[in-house]
Amino acid sequence: MRLLGSCGIAAEPTGLFERFFAVTNAIELEIFKHLLAAIPEEMGALLRRSAYSPNIKERRDYSCAIFNPSGEMIAQAAHIPVHLGTMPLSVQQALAEVELRPGDVVILNDPYRGGTHLPDITLVSPAFVDGELFGFAANRAHHADVGGMAPGSMPIARELVQEGLIIPPVKLMEGGELQTGLWDIILANVRTPRERAGDLRAQLAANRRGVARLEELAARYGPETIHRHSAALLGYAERLTRALLRALPDGRYEFADQLDDDGVADAPLPIRVAVTIQGDSASVDFTGTSPQAQGSLNAVYAITLSAVHYVFRCLLAEDAPSNSGSLRPIQVIAPEGTLVNARRPAPVAGGNVETSQRITDVLLGALAQAAPDRVPAASQGTMNNILIGGWDTRRAAPFTYYETLAGGMGARPGAPGQSAIHTHMTNTLNTPIEALEFAYPFEVVRYEIRRSTGGAGRFRGGDGLRRDLRLRVPATASLLTDRRISRPYGLVGGEPGAPGENVLIRDGAESPLPAKGSIDLQPGDTLSIRTPGGGGWGKASQ
Amino acid sequence: MSPSPGLRIGIDTGGTFTDFVVFDPASGDFSTFKLPSTPHDPAEAILAGLVRIGGAGRSIVHGSTVATNALLERKGATTALLTTEGFADVLEIGRQNRPSLYDFFADRPAPLVPAELRFGLRERVLHTGAVQSALDPAEVEALIPQLQAAQVEAVAVCFLFSFLHPEHEGRTAGLLRQAGFFVSPSSEVLPEFREYERASTTAINAYVSPVMSRYLSRLEDDLPGDSLQIMQSNGGSIAPAEARRHAARCILSGPAGGLVGAQAVGRAAGFDRLITFDMGGTSTDVALLDGGLYVTGEAEIGGLPLRLPVLDIHTVGAGGGSIARVDSGGALRVGPQSAGADPGPACYGRGDQPTVTDANLILGRILPDRFLGGRMPLDFKRALAAMARLGEPLGLSPEQAALGVIQVVDAHMARALQVISVERGRDPRDFTLLAFGGAGGLHAASLARALAIPRVLVPAHAATLSALGMLMADVLKDYSQTVMLPGHTPAAELDSRFAPLRARAASNLAAHGFSPPEQTLNASLDLRYAGQSYELNLPFTPDFLAVFHRKHELEFGYANDTQPVEVVTLRLRAVGAVARPALPRSPRTRRAPRSFDHRPALFPSGELPTAFYDGADLLPGQRLRGPAVVVQPDTTIFLGPSDSARLDSFRNLLIEGGT
Repeated sequence: MRLLGSCGIAAEPTGLFERFFAVTNAIELEIFKHLLAAIPEEMGALLRRSAYSPNIKERRDYSCAIFNPSGEMIAQAAHIPVHLGTMPLSVQQALAEVELRPGDVVILNDPYRGGTHLPDITLVSPAFVDGELFGFAANRAHHADVGGMAPGSMPIARELVQEGLIIPPVKLMEGGELQTGLWDIILANVRTPRERAGDLRAQLAANRRGVARLEELAARYGPETIHRHSAALLGYAERLTRALLRALPDGRYEFADQLDDDGVADAPLPIRVAVTIQGDSASVDFTGTSPQAQGSLNAVYAITLSAVHYVFRCLLAEDAPSNSGSLRPIQVIAPEGTLVNARRPAPVAGGNVETSQRITDVLLGALAQAAPDRVPAASQGTMNNILIGGWDTRRAAPFTYYETLAGGMGARPGAPGQSAIHTHMTNTLNTPIEALEFAYPFEVVRYEIRRSTGGAGRFRGGDGLRRDLRLRVPATASLLTDRRISRPYGLVGGEPGAPGENVLIRDGAESPLPAKGSIDLQPGDTLSIRTPGGGGWGKASQ
Repeated sequence: MSPSPGLRIGIDTGGTFTDFVVFDPASGDFSTFKLPSTPHDPAEAILAGLVRIGGAGRSIVHGSTVATNALLERKGATTALLTTEGFADVLEIGRQNRPSLYDFFADRPAPLVPAELRFGLRERVLHTGAVQSALDPAEVEALIPQLQAAQVEAVAVCFLFSFLHPEHEGRTAGLLRQAGFFVSPSSEVLPEFREYERASTTAINAYVSPVMSRYLSRLEDDLPGDSLQIMQSNGGSIAPAEARRHAARCILSGPAGGLVGAQAVGRAAGFDRLITFDMGGTSTDVALLDGGLYVTGEAEIGGLPLRLPVLDIHTVGAGGGSIARVDSGGALRVGPQSAGADPGPACYGRGDQPTVTDANLILGRILPDRFLGGRMPLDFKRALAAMARLGEPLGLSPEQAALGVIQVVDAHMARALQVISVERGRDPRDFTLLAFGGAGGLHAASLARALAIPRVLVPAHAATLSALGMLMADVLKDYSQTVMLPGHTPAAELDSRFAPLRARAASNLAAHGFSPPEQTLNASLDLRYAGQSYELNLPFTPDFLAVFHRKHELEFGYANDTQPVEVVTLRLRAVGAVARPALPRSPRTRRAPRSFDHRPALFPSGELPTAFYDGADLLPGQRLRGPAVVVQPDTTIFLGPSDSARLDSFRNLLIEGGT
């Protein structure tokens, strides 16, 4: 009864198991899941350790993944859900546009050619075994600035080119050689080149490690064995999704919600979805969603996919691997030219960080009808993006500060929502006050929970928070926030959460600021951001 | 420290047993024993053991779980928190992240201090150390009746930038202490930047110290004439008086004792590059010792950050009690759910879930009648039935399923070992795997083979390694101070900034009886490039800047010596070296080892006759060939068909891998 190596893994599958799983058995599946997941995790550990900027190191706004030769994602280590499942589009774009050779590294951030929004720079490295393409290692990191019209590269723009440097899929390394011309162009077009260089070097190191590990796996088990197990892992993730869909009642579930405005026109932007579940497959149709906006709230298709991936993943009973198999049973219909699948040259900075949250809200609103005992009420539904840039007179140097602020979590069936916590498509850490005041010319005046902003209900929504910053130098602040008018919905009779508020405090007097826009701040001004509460669940009187 | 004529004793209180290791300096003899722990009053087992040991003027080093349990079970003191006004919620907001990305129902742990016991005071210090608004002592005094009314016992005080200007916290602490509260000021507990982590550490300290203090009073009252030291999480001991004020320093002392013990055993045996592998019932601890012990400042306990120096240990949620199941995608999963001690693995006779222990039993690697020294007979049939239920939907026999369970749990363990070696730039092939814990010996040899680790060392003292480590531990105290100075600050000025730390360290060690020549003070710096958010720790030398660029290049692959550097935090480690007793050696024998049984055990290639040895019968110099099993009262060591092993003169079992 020769079955398996005593701790290693059998080279060939046995007939016994093939009856049950076409290509691999339950044991090998679990073992290879660990082996393959270890590679992006190790890449991520290296990237975080060696990255220069707090954005990657402390806020963990990055992800790493490996792919098969056709660009399907086999395993991903993501610390931020909005990266979930979006990198296959980058790899496939690199495959389509660039002739790849050993030692090459493709760089890109063009949202319409494999990217998401410009600050997210993705590096794709092919791995070759015996001259054959064996797979890819790729990583994506959010850079604090990639040029454009405002510090932080998330301005209220009208077209993509205003948002920053656009990098189509091109080789940053060719045959192991850094393309110094391209490198210099990139660094010449950003506000903080030293940081960018440090982060890009860390990204290169992470991919180098990933490629080396892929080659080691191929050498140890043979490329065919790895391809077979990779395919089995995709099938495994697919089965997990199908098992979930089978367990949900068949039907068509519709929901709509809106973004307050795009920072240009003063009008709400509706997002509509119809989720149809039939047997073990589903379709997610965004027909009826607002046309793409003039301002930067446009999401490219990748973002919409990642929100779909995220909500179904959260409903799975299992701790599923992140790979391209999960979405196979789900058809996503996102009409081109809309807010959820924008066309060039629409600006997109906020699609990632704001629209992705509302797409998640509408998906959950629809799925709450299919799984009422497992879906929470709406969470704050915004990331409250704050960017402040200017000239630090003390250091005689420019500064760029970017942060997202947490808010209320929606109440859950059986439990209240948590307060002042990041939900859904982001999970980035805050910057410690003491770190921030050492680094930037402003002070935090208060940082506290906004009590009673969560929606009432049998289970209360979590409360939002308040962060007040007082400037010591003149500066420009860009706000990219939402849920300042509309409120995070409650479920099953729960009340909605309170909307957020942006306030300028000048000479002791408060004046309201728009949800989206750039403002010039004077020394002594205080920028007060108050984030939304989550929706309640169930009627309060019950 | 002047050599004490009395016995030296290490005592480790664990969940099930309290372990004692006794060294008699007069004879050079070691002895060890275990008593059942007494969780209702942990001192009871300790005092019983000490009565059994006898003697007077003994030197005792004790690692206690009193602080740990108070925190994990949330049975600490009623604690209040005072902060700078506007920041009372920092403790609750934390770093604003959620613990689990894809689980709507996973909550972060509740803060140790509820909102109604958190108070903001009108005071503010800036990042320069300048006072923007001064503390009004009347505000503190006005709070006292409120704290008393709420029956607050301990108060944590954490003002912004107090590490640069500790006077506000000092003043506040003075007033509160006068009023009878236990006070934990952040500038005493952890004078370092990052307010949430500092507040969390300070609150943990306030929460557990009164509990620890009561416990130590009880012990000291009953041990007049003995000298008592308390084990810390950093691998060294401190005096009881300090442990009472800084109980947070003792929270992970048990695992720390294990690493100090592992280091001592490894060194004696000639190996100082070790990967430790402590596999228990519900979880497994792994750590890397590369010549020295690694300390991390990023520990978490019960989901709360504890930023005091802690030996760097990586824990995974899989062990002997981990439950195996087939998930809805058709993969065989092991853990993180555990059968625990109750109902325990199916073979314990109460539960029906198949576990790793059941798999080892079915494969013949554990003997049903010799488990825990025969005190607990195992139910083979029940294990087999549970494993049959697991295998049935997969078309696997119970034996095949059991082999699969072992392979999957080994894959978990291999991953954990990679995290602490490969991911930190270390090659496991250069290390020795030191296995302990109830299940460590069963899995170590196959793991070593999988990772090409050349040998496994199972210590003679595997069952009491932690208590042995405590007996061997130096007196150790860590000091720190965030300064945030430019990298070009002259070394002489940094040296003068170290002066107050050195003075405190020297007087502390002197109080322990160490004369100046017996004291070692290691100064180091946390450095980073300006704008980074992660620091590298380096010894403080005159050329620290050049060393920083080199080390940055080495660790992270790039350096830039034109870029400004920041000196973030000064660190000082004060060591009072304790003479480490030599571990006992036994003469070698030429006699062949005698097995007490031969039984078939199951391997992937089929059944093989396997020799069973009693660990107590084995003598130094004896060699074993796999497949073989060495049975000890607390653990079982398994050798695969291609493994061989020998007993060294310390009675450690050294397994050298096959292919």
